[in-house]
Amino acid sequence: MAAAESSLASPMCNLAILDSLNKNSVGEMTDSWNAFCLATENLLGGGGELSLDPNFVSDVRNLCSRGLESLIVEHFLCSVEETFEKNGASRFWKHFGVYRDSAILDMEDPDQQSAMQDILHKALEEIISEKQYQEKCLLMLVHALEMCRGSKSEEQTYLKTERNYLFSKYQLTTASVLMASIPRQFPDVLRWYFKGRLEELSAMMARGSENDSELHEDDGMDLDCKTAEMDIDGTHHHKSTLGNSKLVRNIGVVVRDLRGLGLTSIAEDAYASAIFLLLKAKVHELAGDEFRFSVLESIKGWIQAVPLQFLHALLAYLGESKSYESPSSGLKSPLASHLSFTHHGTGIPSEGLVRWQLRLEYFAYETLQDLRIAKLFEIIVDYPDSSPAIEDLKLCLEYTGQHSKLVESFIAALKYRLLTAGASTNDILHQYVSTIKALRTIDPAGVFLEAVGEPIREYLRGRKDTIKCIVTMLTDGAGGNPSGPGSTGDSLLEELNRDEENQENSSLDDDANTDDKQAWINAQSWEPDPVEADPLKGGRYRRKVDILGMIVSIIGSKDQLVNEYRVMLAEKLLNKSDYDIDSEIRTLELLKIHFGESSMQKCEIMLNDLIDSKRTNTNIKATLKLQPQPVADVGEHELSLDNLNATIISSNFWPPIQDEALIIPGPVDRLLSDYAKRFNEIKTPRKLLWKKNLGTVKLELQFEDRTLQFSVTPLHASIISQFEDQTSWTSKNLAAAVGVPVDVLNRRIYFWINKGILAESIQESGDHKFTLVEALVESGKTGANTGSCEELLVGDEEGETSVASVEDQLRKEMTVYEKFITGMLTNFGSMALDRIHNTLKMFCIGDPPYDKSLQQLQGFLTGLVAEEKLELRDGMYFLKK
Amino acid sequence: CRAQENESQDSTWHAVASWTWDAQDETCGICRMAFDGCCPDCKLPGDDCPLIWGSCNHAFHLHCILKWVNSQTPQAHCPMCRREWQFKG
Repeated sequence: MAAAESSLASPMCNLAILDSLNKNSVGEMTDSWNAFCLATENLLGGGGELSLDPNFVSDVRNLCSRGLESLIVEHFLCSVEETFEKNGASRFWKHFGVYRDSAILDMEDPDQQSAMQDILHKALEEIISEKQYQEKCLLMLVHALEMCRGSKSEEQTYLKTERNYLFSKYQLTTASVLMASIPRQFPDVLRWYFKGRLEELSAMMARGSENDSELHEDDGMDLDCKTAEMDIDGTHHHKSTLGNSKLVRNIGVVVRDLRGLGLTSIAEDAYASAIFLLLKAKVHELAGDEFRFSVLESIKGWIQAVPLQFLHALLAYLGESKSYESPSSGLKSPLASHLSFTHHGTGIPSEGLVRWQLRLEYFAYETLQDLRIAKLFEIIVDYPDSSPAIEDLKLCLEYTGQHSKLVESFIAALKYRLLTAGASTNDILHQYVSTIKALRTIDPAGVFLEAVGEPIREYLRGRKDTIKCIVTMLTDGAGGNPSGPGSTGDSLLEELNRDEENQENSSLDDDANTDDKQAWINAQSWEPDPVEADPLKGGRYRRKVDILGMIVSIIGSKDQLVNEYRVMLAEKLLNKSDYDIDSEIRTLELLKIHFGESSMQKCEIMLNDLIDSKRTNTNIKATLKLQPQPVADVGEHELSLDNLNATIISSNFWPPIQDEALIIPGPVDRLLSDYAKRFNEIKTPRKLLWKKNLGTVKLELQFEDRTLQFSVTPLHASIISQFEDQTSWTSKNLAAAVGVPVDVLNRRIYFWINKGILAESIQESGDHKFTLVEALVESGKTGANTGSCEELLVGDEEGETSVASVEDQLRKEMTVYEKFITGMLTNFGSMALDRIHNTLKMFCIGDPPYDKSLQQLQGFLTGLVAEEKLELRDGMYFLKK
Repeated sequence: CRAQENESQDSTWHAVASWTWDAQDETCGICRMAFDGCCPDCKLPGDDCPLIWGSCNHAFHLHCILKWVNSQTPQAHCPMCRREWQFKG
């Protein structure tokens, strides 16, 4: 026995025990073993009553005394596993056999859902009861073992650990049995189950909150506690929690059962994914295509109201997560957590719940961000209206930090939707400006704007009318696009100026001489540049995003922009028939602020010319009154200087002006000479040189049956005045009479033909003949009513402008270099573009110095190639032979 | 009554002209700027930067020749012809 005693400590190693075996004891052992096996089988088979059978105990004791305890335990567990596999697991899984073809299952069907719910509940109940029974069996074995050694008190602790070991081993066994035979569709089934329950809960909450909002309308505090703090206000939520406590309890039972079966991770996966799915659907539903409202707060509110409520209730029901999630958190004792189950929400939120909240919010932010980024193009299209969406996106990005995603996706959208041949330059520019403004909100440092703006700028540089559009947009408000969003009448420039003032006010602290306190505040609010920032581009100037600067950077230099503006201004001023230039002065002042006084010098002189002209004009009229002219001099047409106004320009400072010969009617011509003479008298020794083709003429045509008023160019006026004495002209004679080439005449005379004043017929000789239409025969013409006032400014439909366009100017300037270029090519045979450019730069330093860009030179050379003066082969220019 | 075009009471002709100093030369001999422009010190041409003729009939920007005359003591000469400088009455 002594040997047997010692064998208890290490039965395996003591081989000497074999020696002590005799036939008798072997027989005894075999009997006990067989009895034990039988008893075990009966017990687990459910046949035996669950009481401690003395025979069983004695068998166990017998075997234990032989040192076979581990064998007993092993055998018992083995049979338990077998039975569990047979009775528990396979039966359990069989329940879900129906859902094998899970893919085709229609879970939207409520009948299906409730059927599945029932099956799940039933199956869980069954397997749990089976398991409980087996646990009881296990307990019996443990009792039997305890009784064998009951007397030895020093082994109590050992027994306790062994008992724990046994149970955990059993848990492991059942879990592994289940996991080993888990059907593929089971996670899906669970997911559907949770999804269905959550939707139910969500609907219930929505109904509940409707009631709540009615109830709480007057105390006005419930919004705060809904969104601000995690802490759940007991009274507020009590009702709704009660309403769905049954539902939550059901879910809780399911989760607990699953956990008991060792399927914790599957269960958690399933409800987590169900919650995320629901959240995603909610975000999509709330955000959708609506950019005019901020949705972030309502999403957060919803997270508080539904999923967190659910989780709170669930975790509380499960006796809180202490046991497996954060055993050391120490926030609450198990008792307290139990209490928090009975009195909802009295405690501090548990760590598990806070973690859930963070997860959910991050997910919501990310979903919303993805949604907004995908729609960013549309959002920016209706930018000022969609700023709430931009604000949302900003908050999301602050949270998630996925700015690069935004940049990539937005650039792709731009390339696909905006930077195409079909988009008008105006639209692109407007979108560009909106983009700048919108992204400035999201990212004040302008780092991402740089990345996004580059493709737009690159594209716009390739368009011919970019400069023109920019200038129009800057100066004319709607940017030539009256239906556009900017049609409020303010020019972009004025808007920019307002912005600037605001920014100025808000960031006065940029000055270097601020006091120490301010400097300290600045230093505290300093934020590093985002990681994506290009370190080569220093940070300080980025502080303010300069819209105008970004627009100018499209063109390359402000000089080009100023030049274009000058041409447009000249055009506008020359077509003015009054001297009203208030808006132009205002625009010029604004431009001066941005581009500096010196670059706007010429434009200022142009405006000054207009002011001077007005004064001079009045002075000349005044001389008329002082020494009235003999009436005979003025002529039979009663024309006087009262009918003549003049704009006198300092031509050196204006863009080159188209000078065309024109013979104007004699009386007017005399009037002009008279005017010039008076000017010469006042401003000796200055003289006037008339640009007879420029200006505007307001005239009135009197017919037998009607009077028409027109506002036309001098050429049109000259043409029609020729018909005063002679009602029909051939085009050749008429052209000679007004002093313009025939083709010009033919083109311009259509104005009068279109108005129904002249009629055109073709003679046999091929010459066109124009006849004055005396009376209006056709009834359907516009302006048929007598005395109707037709005020028309002749638009220069055919591109007949009074000022040479920038391209024409360039061509004129470049012709100087044609000689140089042909000379070079004669000497060298062939030259590449940049070599020509460099050579010109090197040698043409005289008057005028060569100051054109490579692109301008290329444009000019292309023109020469088109005129067949040069030839271009493989990037080399040749003289055409 | 014949149809007639009548430029009476409410008809107005707004013409465009450019002014020029009636000097023989294009540019000022001192600053080499155009006469119809202004001297380097001025911003606005015309009345603000007039021309002046000497008795030798050479014209300069007023500001240019004044600077020249003041720098020459005791007697200034025309920069073009070296004759004694006299403002033309």
